[in-house]
Amino acid sequence: MLKATLRSFLAHKGRLLLSALAVVLSVAFVAGSLIFSDTVSRTFDRLFASSSADVTVQPREDLEAAVPTGAVATVPAGLARRLGGVEGVASAHPDVEVENVTVVDDRNESVGPTTGAPTLAVDWHVTERSVVELTSGRTPRGDGEAVLDADTADAKGVEIGDTLTVQAQPGSFDVEVVGIATFTTTNPGAALVFLEPEVAATRLLGSADRATSVSVEAAPGVPDAELKRRITAELGAAGYTIRTADETAETASEELGAFLDVIKYAMLGFAGIAVLVGVFLIVNTFSMLIAQRTRELGLLRALGADRRQVRRSVLTEAVLLGLAGSTVGLAAGVGLAFGLIGLMSAFGMNLKTTEMVVGWATPVSAYVVGVGVTFVAAYLPARRAASVSPMAALADAEVAGVGRPLRARAVAGGVIGALGAAALLGCVLSGETATAASLLGLGVVLTLVATVVAGPLLVRPVIRVLGAAFPAVFGAVGRMSQRNALRNPRRTGATAAALMVGLALVGGLSVASASMSRSFDEQIDKTLGADFVIQNANFMPFPAEITDRVRDTEGVGLVVRQRFAPVAVRLPDGERIETTAAGYDDGVDDVARVTYAEGGTAAALADGGIAMDAGFAAEHGVRLGDRVPLEFPGSRRAEFTVAALTDMAGGEGFAMRGGLFLGIAAVEEYVPGGQDSTLYVNAAAGTSPDELRDRLEAALDPYPQVQARDQADYKDLVHDQIAVLLYLVYALLGLAIVIAVLGVVNTLALSVVERTREIGLLRAIGLGRRQLRRMIRLESVVIAVFGAVLGLGLGLVWGVCIQQVLALEGMTAFAVPWGTVVAVVVGSAAVGVAAALLPALRASRMNVLEAIAHE
Amino acid sequence: MSTPAAEHAPGLAPADGTAARARGLTKAYGSGETAVIALDAVDVDITRGRFTAVMGPSGSGKSTLMHCLAGLDTVSAGQVWLGDTEITGLKDRELTRLRRDRIGFMFQSFNLIPTLNARENITLPMDIAGRKPDEAWLDQVIDTLGLRDRLKHRPAQLSGGQQQRVACARALASRPELIFADEPTGNLDSRAGLEVLGFLREAVDRLDQTVVMVTHDPGAAAHSDLVLFLADGRIVDETHRPTAESVLERMKRFDVARATPRGTGRRDGEAGGTPGGGVGGGEG
Repeated sequence: MLKATLRSFLAHKGRLLLSALAVVLSVAFVAGSLIFSDTVSRTFDRLFASSSADVTVQPREDLEAAVPTGAVATVPAGLARRLGGVEGVASAHPDVEVENVTVVDDRNESVGPTTGAPTLAVDWHVTERSVVELTSGRTPRGDGEAVLDADTADAKGVEIGDTLTVQAQPGSFDVEVVGIATFTTTNPGAALVFLEPEVAATRLLGSADRATSVSVEAAPGVPDAELKRRITAELGAAGYTIRTADETAETASEELGAFLDVIKYAMLGFAGIAVLVGVFLIVNTFSMLIAQRTRELGLLRALGADRRQVRRSVLTEAVLLGLAGSTVGLAAGVGLAFGLIGLMSAFGMNLKTTEMVVGWATPVSAYVVGVGVTFVAAYLPARRAASVSPMAALADAEVAGVGRPLRARAVAGGVIGALGAAALLGCVLSGETATAASLLGLGVVLTLVATVVAGPLLVRPVIRVLGAAFPAVFGAVGRMSQRNALRNPRRTGATAAALMVGLALVGGLSVASASMSRSFDEQIDKTLGADFVIQNANFMPFPAEITDRVRDTEGVGLVVRQRFAPVAVRLPDGERIETTAAGYDDGVDDVARVTYAEGGTAAALADGGIAMDAGFAAEHGVRLGDRVPLEFPGSRRAEFTVAALTDMAGGEGFAMRGGLFLGIAAVEEYVPGGQDSTLYVNAAAGTSPDELRDRLEAALDPYPQVQARDQADYKDLVHDQIAVLLYLVYALLGLAIVIAVLGVVNTLALSVVERTREIGLLRAIGLGRRQLRRMIRLESVVIAVFGAVLGLGLGLVWGVCIQQVLALEGMTAFAVPWGTVVAVVVGSAAVGVAAALLPALRASRMNVLEAIAHE
Repeated sequence: MSTPAAEHAPGLAPADGTAARARGLTKAYGSGETAVIALDAVDVDITRGRFTAVMGPSGSGKSTLMHCLAGLDTVSAGQVWLGDTEITGLKDRELTRLRRDRIGFMFQSFNLIPTLNARENITLPMDIAGRKPDEAWLDQVIDTLGLRDRLKHRPAQLSGGQQQRVACARALASRPELIFADEPTGNLDSRAGLEVLGFLREAVDRLDQTVVMVTHDPGAAAHSDLVLFLADGRIVDETHRPTAESVLERMKRFDVARATPRGTGRRDGEAGGTPGGGVGGGEG
């Protein structure tokens, strides 16, 4: 029996080719994701482990800044001298490392990374732990000299002797590049500027007596943990965060790990979708192969093979396919990881492909996914094969299984669909984001499953409508292609379902993003009253000299600054909530439109006052005039009076729970060293906004990091950011769509084989080659468009529900991107045409007589 | 040398015209030493308005003869005319059009497109051509074949005999110059087979059609006006106004002849050479 299975596998290898390709693609995506993320984490783990000092003493981290404030937490530089005296300390060095700087060249262009990675200004202190070594020039000596990292120098064409301007929080200063330092480990993509230690402290932190941390090296024989204990005893537990080398590396890895995990799970999620789509393809292939082999299977049964043997024979074939596909897929995954690593180095993260990590989990996952998927996908067809009666050997039945009733599917699809619809309805009716989001997720999965299960039932009604014009437009050819698509609803349904999955997600996400864009537009229209908004493209804060320069620009009227402060607020109901408060200058009413339930801007921004979102206040039992205690970083505390309650859609944005805002003086007081995040600028009387724009752009020329935007620019910025995310998702869904298209090719190719005699007959009685190709092409188009219509329909329903969840977060507008919808339908028709190319060519090249005689 | 100008448009010609003609028709599969000659310089005339049967033992080349006459297969040498059109040397597109417009086909089995109902199957060649069927003629054909109440049925809902009747109606529907029937009763029980033969007979007698039928059943051949006997790729005999007995008698002699070694020169008709790759246009 095994021999028969092997023979059969080899005999059908052509027909299994596309199934194998689907397995290869899915497995490659899974393996590539794993290898890539393993390689990145290993590289950084090593980097952190090798570069961490035995013990590091840092300022205590009490409140994490979800929104950057521009402030740098410091310790006294004298701490290093004090720690030098602790027993077991070999050396203690005060480090200076800040990332709130911008470095520009003499053409006022930033030399920092364009990828959003930071520019770091660091003191030049070379130990055996340093990640760089000086490779040309000399070390920086005194004010006005700096060393630049080699990758940045290469990328931006900076050479020794060039002058750079460093824009730091205390003020800008010029430096001459006197040396180039090269990474000895992986360059994580940042730009590094090194200054002499004392210069670094003065110029970057504003005082030679400050440092951002102290690195302590242990004397020989003193374990890190012991040294940490002694230092903790010396300094006391409060005030500092003290970590051993291992702990430092672990913390750094965790921070990066959280980010890498997001990438890894996102990629695995898309791999999952690709796998799901692949399943449809494999199910269809095996169903068709078994339908074509009904007589052969019947003969096997008639000759005495029992059901289990027949089933096992089909499943063995599936496992062979899975093994072959997984092996190739694993290799392709290594290639994909190579590609991803190459892509990362294009973004400045120079990972070494020679240090690629293939953990044991990678091949195991590859084979589990590849073999598992094919096995599962072939299981139902295998059972159907086993149920072939020995009588089938004698019958002249064309195709088995065509007429099997779909009642079971109707019931299952109906029940699951009803549950899914209920979940989505619950999501729409729910008033709480968390509940709505989980109901949304449940509803999306259930409705997707229901549509897949019930898909074959929808084939007849939908394709009748879609193909209704075919007989009129394309005559007999059109009629036959429509009927062929209707011929086996299961097959058409499964083929289209593969396409549907990807397109439903595209549909849902495009509705969500269009709704978000429109909501932001409306919000900008409603709330933004300023002529110009000056911001860093990554929303990073900027030094005060930019603010000064804007204020000094001719024609500038009102300037309102915005700063952020991480806070923890303790509420009357006993809850302590960590969030971010915004500080504003007076004049907010002239640059923004804030609506209040109670109180007003003047009271909110007055000394000791704070504004709060009315809904948040009601939820936590806060009333106007209540006093609430706030904690700021560095254990600074103060009480504020709730002087205004705002009533605005979107008042509580991302990381801004409670919608807290107060006078900027309070932020300056409690977050010393902070920087402005946004400037709202109005033109002075007599200056037109266009004139002012030119002047502002001229004034900001030396500061490439900030841009002046009017409302339209600001909307574009928001749209672009949403679009980037969307395109990334589309690109990843692209793989699923490619596999789905392979599925259409596969179905058509196998159908052509199955209908060989019919094609021969048609050719004999006078169907031209071109007409035959058109018939297959139209069938393909109708299947693809069916998938698109189903997917978009489902996606639009999801989009409506996603928008309802977004509405709870203040994004109340709803928009359907009809352009995208039309493009998807047209695109799917084009995909149908493309998918039919090879099967149609093959059909039209068949020899008429051989086709008629085909068994 | 052999294009008689006397031939006229189809449908008008009296029973004495020639519907199809072959001269020196040779068909070889393969080449060189391993070549198999399926047709060996066959000369044949198919008379218009007659029912011609082609008989012969398996492998005698009777199906190949039909395929070559019908433009389904290419020839290795010789010439074939349909009416006054020489079809040897026509391109695939022209041959396809010719089959669609001027020839009707019935095969042994799998004659109908399963997705189309009986009426759609009957008018399919004209639908493919984008022509309107002649309704009066169509009605006559449908009534003659007794298919009036089956027109909305799909092939799967019809019996084997009914399916062959639909195929017969399709072959007649476009009033072709020539109908080829390849073992049309091969898959039917004797009653349904007789019915189909009766219809073919009627098509010739009442509807003035020309039918060529390939068969190995002497009983079926007995319905024809003329039986051509093929053996080893040549026409070796013919019988006018056959009866089942006379055909059977003639066939029995083949069995005797077959038992003795063949001595005829096999390569007589190959003077024109054997064009290579004459079989088919692509791989299966």
